[in-house]
Amino acid sequence: MGNRCKDAVVRAAEAALRSNGGRAVLLRMPAPAASGTDAEQLGLTTPQFQDLPLYPAAFRKNLSTSKLLVSASAVASLIGARAFNSAEVLFETAAGVVVDDVLYTITGSVTYQADGEPYCYCLALRAPVR
Amino acid sequence: MQNAKDTFYEVLRGRLAAINPERTIVLRGVERPGVLVEENELITTVALPECFRLRWTQAAADPNGALATIALECEIDYETAGNAFNSGMDRGRSLAAMDAELQSTVNATPQSAPKSNYTGLANGAAAVPMSTSIWWGPLVFGKTKITDDRIGRTATVVVNSFQEAGEL
Repeated sequence: MGNRCKDAVVRAAEAALRSNGGRAVLLRMPAPAASGTDAEQLGLTTPQFQDLPLYPAAFRKNLSTSKLLVSASAVASLIGARAFNSAEVLFETAAGVVVDDVLYTITGSVTYQADGEPYCYCLALRAPVR
Repeated sequence: MQNAKDTFYEVLRGRLAAINPERTIVLRGVERPGVLVEENELITTVALPECFRLRWTQAAADPNGALATIALECEIDYETAGNAFNSGMDRGRSLAAMDAELQSTVNATPQSAPKSNYTGLANGAAAVPMSTSIWWGPLVFGKTKITDDRIGRTATVVVNSFQEAGEL
């Protein structure tokens, strides 16, 4: 499959997400740990967090918030901007995903690919205990 | 209780760094000795392999005496997948090395340390020595656990301290 076809798959996935309730969510990333002090290691201080927008994203099922589909192009731009090795490392480093002011913990991620080209990521989420 | 927990972590981390300086982890971009307290880290960090993960479980207080004695049980989880260059076939030896490191760290004499109050670190101040010490018993190794390609173990140690006046 040529690059043109790979791009088409990515664009098709993005269009499908937009047309099926695609919305923006926020990936909450912790700042680098403070060096030279043990305060964070002892739980005395917490790191700063930065919310990075991911768009488009949509829950896989209308009535469930356990699986979130995210556009691969949105993730790719974050990986490039933040110099992460892979999407998996990005998601493992994140503190969670913020949807409607609720922070969901990312418990896993699956990459959907077409001929080796990621076109969508499925994040397994755990809602906070209320 | 919190001061005893903080002091034990600091002692363990310092001894581990002295025994094997190469056992390190990188957490949020900063390299540090390979030991962490689960309740002080992001939830996503707790399954980190090749390091010692401290988890405080049971607590008991004995009010008899001038100062109450507090006993805290600390579980120390660790697991390894071995060396990737050896296709993980040395994971048993890798676990044995972690066993030995932990035993040397916890069972080294003295099995006690002066207790300190670390809350000042939040404001850039230094830790403040307290009047009493913490002390701990022998390390008890649990059964070997196998999870996917990892082999691991949970060891347990009981950390004791006196509850000083005004201490949380």
